[in-house]
Amino acid sequence: MAMTFSTELPVDAPVIAPDVTMTSLSEQVSGRVLTERAPLWWRTGFGVGFMLLTLLIIQMGWLFINGIGVWGVNIPVAWGLALAEYVWWIALASGGTIVSALFFLTRSPWRSATNRIAESMLLSAAPCAGLMPIMHLGRPGLFYWLFPYSTVMGVWPQVRSPLWWDFICLLCYILMSLMYYYAGILPDLATVRDLAKSRSKQIFYGVLALGWRGSVKQWQNQRVVYAIMSAIMAPMVISVHSVVGLDFAGGLTPGWHDTQFPPYFFFGAIISGTALIIMLTIMVRWGYGLHDVLTEYHLNAMAKVMLVGSLLLAYAYVWEAFGPFYGSDVAERTEFLRRLSGFAAPAFWSEKILTVIIPQLLWLPFVRRRQLLLFLISTGIIVGMWQERFVFVTSSLEHNSMPSSWGHYFPTFWDWAALAGTIGLFLTLFFLFLRFAPIVSLAEVREIVEEKRSK
Amino acid sequence: MTELCGIVAQFDTPEALRSAAAQLRRSGFRVFEAYTPYPVAGLDRIIRPGRNLLLPLVMFGAAIVGAAWGYWVQYWDEALNYPINVGGRPYNSWPAFMVSTFEFMLLVAVAAGFFGMLAASGLPKLYHPLFEARSFERASRDRFVICVERADPRFDSDAIRRVFEEHGAQRIEEVRA
Repeated sequence: MAMTFSTELPVDAPVIAPDVTMTSLSEQVSGRVLTERAPLWWRTGFGVGFMLLTLLIIQMGWLFINGIGVWGVNIPVAWGLALAEYVWWIALASGGTIVSALFFLTRSPWRSATNRIAESMLLSAAPCAGLMPIMHLGRPGLFYWLFPYSTVMGVWPQVRSPLWWDFICLLCYILMSLMYYYAGILPDLATVRDLAKSRSKQIFYGVLALGWRGSVKQWQNQRVVYAIMSAIMAPMVISVHSVVGLDFAGGLTPGWHDTQFPPYFFFGAIISGTALIIMLTIMVRWGYGLHDVLTEYHLNAMAKVMLVGSLLLAYAYVWEAFGPFYGSDVAERTEFLRRLSGFAAPAFWSEKILTVIIPQLLWLPFVRRRQLLLFLISTGIIVGMWQERFVFVTSSLEHNSMPSSWGHYFPTFWDWAALAGTIGLFLTLFFLFLRFAPIVSLAEVREIVEEKRSK
Repeated sequence: MTELCGIVAQFDTPEALRSAAAQLRRSGFRVFEAYTPYPVAGLDRIIRPGRNLLLPLVMFGAAIVGAAWGYWVQYWDEALNYPINVGGRPYNSWPAFMVSTFEFMLLVAVAAGFFGMLAASGLPKLYHPLFEARSFERASRDRFVICVERADPRFDSDAIRRVFEEHGAQRIEEVRA
């Protein structure tokens, strides 16, 4: 089949390679989990992640001993990198649920092989997001005061605040994502259990699989609950990231006080989350040699989702620019012009190029099939989204309504250590998922294999 | 290892399994169950006909309970136990309570679905006599297994074996525990 520059992937292109059978699929994917010795690339990736995680622990120790003055935050910029990265991480996590739950509801065939990667990514990124505001509290040991429980102090959290809504959203989101993940992986753990040779692994996966047998009754229950869970998770993830947008929209700071931010943030989640899934899919595909299960079909489909995300984001950018000139607030307009041409302008413009202009290359079918190009575009998007959150959070605070109290924010070494450290936490968790849990949803891919066979 | 639990057969294809299950049902057997690596289309209509609305209803009920609980926590906090006047807003400022009410509603519904699924499927149950059967080893991978249990009122070893053989079972054995 000759592929030219502009040839679309044919409509009937195979979702998975024709030579994949139920036997080879189960043994291939479970084999990666059951192997005695992890491959070199896994040990390298995990090692890098673990080193950065150590940096995070040192950073947290230093921060908790000295207080958040070790970061560059001060008045007027009291929300620095940590809060920008909170938004960034939660957007990356949300992408996992979007791919996994939303595209389950649309019955997209490409979702079956990639949803486990998406969910593992989500469960690795959500703790990074959750850690950021806790580190930012100043007295992190007292974060449990946010829980709505009856204390002897007789004091309750202020539940009218978007910041509290945010805490509840993230808490519910992590708990629900864990249950959603486990409900999906249960049958696959049974496969690993039945393939395990050593006694310790049989016991380990036997306990994790909870005695799953795959009877008609169990499948019926699992499928009906999983479908309803997906229908719940899809609006749930929209609410989570929208409430993060409300944290800002609820503030009077110029550049934040805008009703468009809930959907704006969600658009950011679609593009950056999908970008990270594409990067991880390419890594898993290459590292675990799963070329026939994770095919061009999947990359092509996800690249299209990423392109849609980029267009949605472009739309949000247009409204972000329209608002300050349509309204009459001078501070709002001044702040926006500062973003265009001031201190943050390089970050502002490069972010637009990385997240909107360059992704337009994805219109070319050729680009959607080149792993290297996809990987680079995705990296650019994730970096661009980081800049977007950074400019959004700090530039607004730098130019508040009172010019006499303007100021600049310069991240310190410990700010950057928090960023590198949470990347380490993410990598460590994701590589642990890779090592101990089947990274492709076996039960769902079997259905695709079967459909192909019976045709 | 002496008591007979049932007779189990292993098939290569879902079609063979489906026709064997249909044959068993036509012959009047009632207590049998199929074990497959993925949900085989149409099999549930043979083995467990009828609509199963229990879990969706449990989740729906849990959603209502979750929403009521979420709202109550906030109402108790802001209006009854620790009322603070925030810019003259009403103590029971329900629009501000809606986000968390929504999240609690979904959390309780998903938790009810998750634990309800385990309970309705009889899990966790780390041991089952079926795990002793060699035919069962590949039921989580690439083979299709059916088991007629001893509890069936018409249980008859020879008749069951005949049905299995007729439909091309690869391996037939007795499950004992």
